[in-house]
Amino acid sequence: MNKELRVTIFTIIAMVICILLQSTILQKIALGGVRPDLALLVLIFVSMRRGSMVGQVSGFATGFLEDLMNVSPLGFHSLLRTVMGFLYGLLSGNVFVDPFLMPIVLAVVATILKGILSGIVSALFGITASGFITFAGRLWIEAGYNGVIAPFLFALLNLFKVFKQADKEGT
Amino acid sequence: MPGLFEGFFSRHRKGATLAILVLASFLCLLVSNRSVVIKPKEIGLSVAGFFQKGFTGVFAWFGDTAGSIRKLRAARDELNAARDRLQDMDQVTRENLELRRQNDALKSQLDFAQTLSPDRIAAEVVAWDTDNLFSTITINKGSRAGVKKDMVVVAWQGDIEGLVGKVLLVGPGSSEVLPLYDPQCWVSARVDTSRDEGLVQGEGKDRGTILMSYVKKTAKDKIAYGDLIVTSGLGGLYSKGINIGRIREIAAPPYESSLELQVEPIVQFERLEYLFLIPAEPAITVPAATPQAAGKK
Repeated sequence: MNKELRVTIFTIIAMVICILLQSTILQKIALGGVRPDLALLVLIFVSMRRGSMVGQVSGFATGFLEDLMNVSPLGFHSLLRTVMGFLYGLLSGNVFVDPFLMPIVLAVVATILKGILSGIVSALFGITASGFITFAGRLWIEAGYNGVIAPFLFALLNLFKVFKQADKEGT
Repeated sequence: MPGLFEGFFSRHRKGATLAILVLASFLCLLVSNRSVVIKPKEIGLSVAGFFQKGFTGVFAWFGDTAGSIRKLRAARDELNAARDRLQDMDQVTRENLELRRQNDALKSQLDFAQTLSPDRIAAEVVAWDTDNLFSTITINKGSRAGVKKDMVVVAWQGDIEGLVGKVLLVGPGSSEVLPLYDPQCWVSARVDTSRDEGLVQGEGKDRGTILMSYVKKTAKDKIAYGDLIVTSGLGGLYSKGINIGRIREIAAPPYESSLELQVEPIVQFERLEYLFLIPAEPAITVPAATPQAAGKK
């Protein structure tokens, strides 16, 4: 099987597991109803390791699945995750990711970016997304939560051979 | 020509894939979201408004933080006074509970005991929304168990029943519930003591507060902190008298013609496990006058 395809499938599986965790068990550790977005963290980790192609395709697939599971209109999450996967994939091979500080920065920036993107898409399509009244408290809580979890999750994902950095993107 | 296309695609593989995926997402959004508002003027307003809200939000946050310090000092004094009042209230609450118990006992003796409607469907919460953008609750009952769209959802916590929301989507084996704290959830309500009416709506900020608006300003002297908010039965969905929450803050903005009440829901959403689904109240319709009826008169 093509290596890129194999990584994409593994990423999708990992993200689906995270989505299921987020909607069930992680509810127990929610702060004011806000849970960390583990799927987003997996997406940015893999995109930075394996490039835009893997990032955007796995982002689209899992986003589409989320749209099927939620009340969000079809295309909402898939658009957000596709763009996030693409943007973080552009950083692949260009940014040194240390074990602690960079995961925090990357996760916080990704969450804020997600908030801004979701606000723009919601405004364009007249969607009432309750969670991110952009720049309201919930966005910052999630950003902080993701930032705290990112170093640990990145360290865990580092253990999987399949996510090791490609020598050259697309190979 | 196909060779040219293939050549272009292989050279711009990433960009072309991104364009296809984004286009697919946009198409899905256009098809699935009926309230699409892609008009140049509105887009301009929406995008500008989005950033304006952002700036206002950031500055308001700094302002609120400074204001909070001042408020904290005032709150300390109020806290001491409130503690004294709370002791008195405790006594009143105990008496109230005792009266309720007596009332229930008397009702049952008179055969007026309220029983659970046989139409109720019990369900268990199995999941929440996958991320923090939307707020829905997934339950383990669907159309196979008789669940229908717009059924009213309530839950018992402690000794009291409270409104959770309404059924939004129904699948064969599971359903999605729109909770009270979602901004799309509107409930016509009234203050139980003063009977003043208003509309309750989620704010989307957190699960612990909902907003009751459109309450007449003249009601300000009749309502108080802790008053119970119940459904009014208007609107033909939620039946009358379901507990919603208790007043936590009363605000009378000078730019509004009505009061804004911050309400703490009776139901603690973090603790939800089991729910009850009640059929929606049929809308009240006025029967049209028929010639026969007119003749009888």
